[in-house]
Amino acid sequence: MSPARFPGRRMRRGLLAPLAAIGIAVCAVLAPLAASADETCNSPYMRNLIRGQEDYVYVWTLGVEGMGDGSDKLVTVDVNPSSKQYGKVAHVLSVGTRGEAHHMGFTDDRRHLWAGGLDDSRVYIFDVYSDPSRPKLVRTLSDLPQRTGLVGPHTFYAMPGRMLVQFLSNSKDHGGVTGMAMFTNKGELIRTYGMPTGSGGDGYGYDIGINPKKNVMLTSSFSGWNNYMMDFGKMLQDQEAMKRFGRTMVLWDAKSMKSEKVLDVPGAPLEIRWSLNQEDNWAVTASALTSQLWLIKQDGNGQWQAKAVAAIGDPAQVPLPVDISITADGKGLWVNTFMDGKTRFIDLTDPEHPRQTYEKVTGKQVNMVSQSWDGTRVYITSSLLANWDKKGENDEQMLRAFAWDGKDLQPLFEVDFYAQNLGRAHHMKFGSNAIKAAYEPLDATLAQNR
Amino acid sequence: MHAASLAAAGVLMLSCAVAAAGPRGDTARLGLPEISAAASRAQVDLGRRLFMDRRLSRNGTMSCGMCHVPEQGFAQNELATSIGVEGRSLRRNAPSVLNSGFNQSYFHDGRARTLEEQAWGPLLAPDEMGNADRATVVGRVAALQDYPDAFRHAFGDAAVSEQRIGVALAAYQRSLVAGGSRFDRWYYGQEEAAMSAEEKRGFVVFRGKAQCNACHELGRTHALFTDEAFHNLGVGIPAAGPEQWLEVRLAPGVTTRIPHALVRSVSEPPRKDEGRFEVTGRPQDRAAYRTPTLRNVELTAPYMHDGSFATLREVVDFYDRGGNPNDNLDRLILPLYLSEQDKQDLVAFMRALTGANVDELARQARAAAAQPATR
Ligand code: HEC
Ligand code: HEC
Repeated sequence: MSPARFPGRRMRRGLLAPLAAIGIAVCAVLAPLAASADETCNSPYMRNLIRGQEDYVYVWTLGVEGMGDGSDKLVTVDVNPSSKQYGKVAHVLSVGTRGEAHHMGFTDDRRHLWAGGLDDSRVYIFDVYSDPSRPKLVRTLSDLPQRTGLVGPHTFYAMPGRMLVQFLSNSKDHGGVTGMAMFTNKGELIRTYGMPTGSGGDGYGYDIGINPKKNVMLTSSFSGWNNYMMDFGKMLQDQEAMKRFGRTMVLWDAKSMKSEKVLDVPGAPLEIRWSLNQEDNWAVTASALTSQLWLIKQDGNGQWQAKAVAAIGDPAQVPLPVDISITADGKGLWVNTFMDGKTRFIDLTDPEHPRQTYEKVTGKQVNMVSQSWDGTRVYITSSLLANWDKKGENDEQMLRAFAWDGKDLQPLFEVDFYAQNLGRAHHMKFGSNAIKAAYEPLDATLAQNR
Repeated sequence: MHAASLAAAGVLMLSCAVAAAGPRGDTARLGLPEISAAASRAQVDLGRRLFMDRRLSRNGTMSCGMCHVPEQGFAQNELATSIGVEGRSLRRNAPSVLNSGFNQSYFHDGRARTLEEQAWGPLLAPDEMGNADRATVVGRVAALQDYPDAFRHAFGDAAVSEQRIGVALAAYQRSLVAGGSRFDRWYYGQEEAAMSAEEKRGFVVFRGKAQCNACHELGRTHALFTDEAFHNLGVGIPAAGPEQWLEVRLAPGVTTRIPHALVRSVSEPPRKDEGRFEVTGRPQDRAAYRTPTLRNVELTAPYMHDGSFATLREVVDFYDRGGNPNDNLDRLILPLYLSEQDKQDLVAFMRALTGANVDELARQARAAAAQPATR
């Protein structure tokens, strides 16, 4: 791994990093950057990227019946090595109910973090800007199934001044036919969009990924409430249930939000990552059940196509690739495989021919993986879905941080989510003390003009 | 007081809830016995709304209609066995509630005697709708602003009680009368052209060579296609010897075999199902289940108490090979030696048993679910 791929390696950890982050954040407010992201997997419309040392990792955590108050929680972990609390839980915010906490996403201004419950379909809006070390719950949307017919808010994708939310299911039959809903950043519902069911569409949904330059939005497809809420072992044995997984990706005109083409991607394609390299115009996804890495790219005639370009592990053993995280230069991809607890590095230098170059067992079960912008820090969590997680002693629940030098993952710290009575650790997003500072000049100007 | 208001409501109204099925109600009764229910139309309407209302579950995620999906024959096509609140596993397949008003007992093991009694089962089961107790449900419904008028119309005043909830749900389900199938028009309505030649041949096999009617009975004036009894066909009894591998479908045309040990690592402990034995305690009732009606059966796949058969053809093949032999196998279950033609005809016949009004009943249910729910 050449050092050039990890520009951040040259940046010193410690005091300098937060300063650098402030600098970048201020710039971002004054002149919002186009397509780029921090922890590399956010919407391209997001500002205030953290390119130095992140201060916090927010972990959206599933409540476990009988553990503490049993409710879902936003857990803030201090991850700045210069902090006295480094590697410790800094703050816990319980939302008071248990609803299958799953994914989160920032608004475009990074002031608010939206988080959803796949079971009770609640959406929580947290203020992570007033005090990044202590997120505050500012709004709960609790009647979305009644208002939209949609169940299971999954991906929260920043649009300019808006949030686009991809759901997984519906309130009619808890199957996989679903849609998306657009909200203002404050949480007002604007409208819904059904996933296409004609011309080969299965109507299913999962993730959203936009390439603004190409005006292309991609969506992927998973499964409905019936399956994602079901005991994993029961589901594997339920032949009807196993027929109900997504097998498509949909290409949309990102501006008009019209679906244009249905791509055949069998085996439940999940997270979508566009290459962050400005020169590139391709995205990758992994199909969870068939363990394939797919490349979505324009062919010689300018037609978008999806093709399987590599197997992840041994597909016959169903390693179940789950989260993927692309490096900032688009040349590498972390892939977690849930069943064998492995974190794998795939070399994407030639995206048509990806090669796995590294793997390590990082847990008894692993799901999400996030990396710092510079690629030197990699965080993983353990929970996939409450009823899919392993049982008994293999049900380990943790956040683990690693240092990556291009050759090996070295453990930095770990938080045991069961030992601390928190629950099942799922999605991660980074927080920075610099966010508040970044907004101060802008807020001051706004206040003066008021 | 409840009894009085009930009686009053009964006097006001038609003696038969079928009226709620609309203009085709009469056609839909063809082939079915009279149903003796003193429910009013207003009670049926209220019951329909309750049936479709997700707020009746502990966390607002499950209604009766989430497992008895109107567009899926009031059953569930996408799951072999249901899952309830927070994804808890049920042991059994959700049967259709169409024509359930005619049942003499309820559930695959017949443990409930009336629809009124049955309704509180799912409402309180921790793995179905998960409510703590009856008072909680009554309190929640009473607090919803969209119900007082409906209760007033149905029962004379707006009071919500556990008995009224049960009565309304039962009234609605009794109104789900779905006959008037092509078979009914042919057999009971003497409409010669209502069934195809293939379907008619299938009926001959059904009553002849295959003796299906020994259990799925039919009479001179009507047919329920059930003897209301419990039989052991061997469904759900695992094959002898430890199973090492599970065949799993990963995508259309892609399957793999994974070791059971791997499946166990992500499985909750399996729960036994002993069928009728759980109710009677009689050893000969082990793995015996209630004979279900065959009406609307084309809409209610997958089949049997555990949803283990995906298609009617698979069911016919199962009977043809003599079921799944075990110590308590019903003596009526024997190899049938059906020809390929017989099998196809038998399946065709079962597809002719779909009620004339099923789509209409589903539309009514969905419309009730869509009523604005003011909190
Ligand atoms: C979580 C899924 C689920 C929910 C919710 C649910 N049911 Fe069921 N229902 C089932 C299953 C599974 C069975 C079979 C259970 C058994 O045999 O033990 C069943 C059986 C029945 C039966 C018996 C039918 C027959 O032919 O024996 C009726 C009637 C019924 N349900 C009505 C209701 C009503 C009314 C509600 C709401 C108050 C309801 N169900 C809610 C899954 C569900
Ligand atoms: C000995 C009595 C008996 C006979 C004879 C019999 N059945 Fe059944 N049938 C049952 C019982 C009991 C069940 C339910 C078994 C279970 O759930 O495990 C059943 C279930 C079914 C089902 C599934 C219905 C559903 O909703 O899941 C079909 C279809 C069916 N039978 C068709 C037939 C046909 C066709 C024949 C003749 C070839 C036949 N049966 C003969 C007793 C019988």
